[in-house]
Amino acid sequence: MRFGSDYRSGNRRCIGLAGALVLVASAQVTAADLYVVCNVNVALQPSDVRDVFIGEKSFAGSAHLAPADNLSAQTAFLERVMKVTADRYASLWTKKSFRDGANPPPVKASDAETIAYVRQTPGACSYVQTVPPAGVNTIGKF
Amino acid sequence: MRCLTTTHTVTKKRAPHRIHAILALLAVVGAMPCAMANATGKPDPSLVEMQKKLDQSLQLIEALTERVRELEARQAVPAAATAPGAPATSNAATPAAEATTGTSRLDADERKLEQLEKENANRSTDDTGLPLHGFADVGIGTHNPINPDLKGAYVGNLDFYLAPHLGDHTRALFEMNTEVGSEGSVDVDLERAQIGYQFNDQATVWVGRYHTPYGYINTSLHHGSWVNNTLRRPKFLQFEDNGGIVPAHTVGMWLTGAVHAGGGKFLYDVYAGNSQEIVDGALDMRNAGTSNGHIGGGARLAYQFKTGRVDGLMLGVHAFTSTITDDAVPSNATRVLAYGGFAVFDTDQWENIAEIYLFDDRDIRGGTSTHRSTAGFLQLGYRATWGVPYARYERTVLEQSDPYFAALEGGASYHRIALGARFDIDLKSAIKLELANTRLTDRSLDRYGEGLVQYAIRF
Repeated sequence: MRFGSDYRSGNRRCIGLAGALVLVASAQVTAADLYVVCNVNVALQPSDVRDVFIGEKSFAGSAHLAPADNLSAQTAFLERVMKVTADRYASLWTKKSFRDGANPPPVKASDAETIAYVRQTPGACSYVQTVPPAGVNTIGKF
Repeated sequence: MRCLTTTHTVTKKRAPHRIHAILALLAVVGAMPCAMANATGKPDPSLVEMQKKLDQSLQLIEALTERVRELEARQAVPAAATAPGAPATSNAATPAAEATTGTSRLDADERKLEQLEKENANRSTDDTGLPLHGFADVGIGTHNPINPDLKGAYVGNLDFYLAPHLGDHTRALFEMNTEVGSEGSVDVDLERAQIGYQFNDQATVWVGRYHTPYGYINTSLHHGSWVNNTLRRPKFLQFEDNGGIVPAHTVGMWLTGAVHAGGGKFLYDVYAGNSQEIVDGALDMRNAGTSNGHIGGGARLAYQFKTGRVDGLMLGVHAFTSTITDDAVPSNATRVLAYGGFAVFDTDQWENIAEIYLFDDRDIRGGTSTHRSTAGFLQLGYRATWGVPYARYERTVLEQSDPYFAALEGGASYHRIALGARFDIDLKSAIKLELANTRLTDRSLDRYGEGLVQYAIRF
């Protein structure tokens, strides 16, 4: 009886350990999370993000917003947050720029460059696929 | 430095994969002995052997990790020795000293990399020049799309615009358009020249020459043909020098903004500026000022739905008034009052637009009292995967005894039915086709059909 109990207990522990390790190991191959981040002086709601990136919202309180696209995560961002194709996004900005004189967001190449931009630029907002480090304001995870 | 950067990037990217691969391997290997031991209930000699091998593997991994660190440190030392101004490295340095030096070099390179990323992050259009954008179009038709007396190939517009980034609040927009007149001459117009101050999302004040905010088309779809899904604007909403009957531009001041409310937003515009004059049968917006001091103005209010099944729907009303004189001798003066409404359903699939204008013009000098006229159009467009087919019906009933419409070359009543389609070749070019039938209904009773092709680009 005791032997059977040890058997079941040990079995559970081993399965649990193996499962946890396999989960950790496979985390890399699942779809990467997307984090929208802003400079620490920016307070935004996740529902505002779309307006910010199509130029419909230029201010958050007194802070003038300075959104930037992140080329390495743009496909996921347009699909999950903006819900538009890259063509439609480009077209929206062409019309917006021609109509209102607004400029499309500058493009950063990588998460590291994006984070550096967001940290240093008052009003900056962008998105990354790595867990945001300290020093930026995470608006939402998508 | 570029090579070093690449090496770091690759190392950074690969490291998590290695760790996860090792963890996965350990998980599988770890699970096997458990399963085997539990299956028999006794320590299996082979299990003990496997655990021993696992321990050896772990030791081997640790040794390899240490070796990699050592090699990386050595690799960094020659680079440091060849760097300008770098301190000389003794060949007799101990491995420990080499490792320490290497680590510090790696730290220095990390810092440089971080600095480069920061510099890239700060790079903006301010130091890369001002981008110049524009639109152009050419076409072929059984009639010229603007002047039906002409046929064959035509050069459309070459339109440039600048939107310099000036700061958090100051904005500017300049648009210069070259267009070919009926006689083939090339004219250059400063279509928009406006400088504005944006207080916040709710209020921006523009001063200069801007597109008069009425309806939807006049401020949303401009000279660049590529922007429009249709091949051309409705005839009565053409620009002034193309026969338009409503002032497309105003020189003055314009307050505009948006206020979020109820899941959508209110859009408002209030403006005032120089009263237009009719010169040679076309509206002139008096860029340099008026000689008579007349002021015109108006307002537009719209609500844009942003949720649910009506997401993309916009409903609005608009009105403007202006005392407009002409160049007749003696000149006429008309207090033009136009008002109406518009509806737009603009989504990923649909682009449906309707606008209506009611004119209630008062003849000031001729004493012919008040004249009422109407103009409007309905356009349906569908964004299919292969293109954007559209249909449009336009109708104007313009009172010809109204001195305002009588003086305008494009002031005749008409109705037009048009069917067309837009095909995007790529992100920056499109071909549009249109078949249209137009019938004039008062000054003349002409009727003509058109087959038009347009190639429009943006750059």
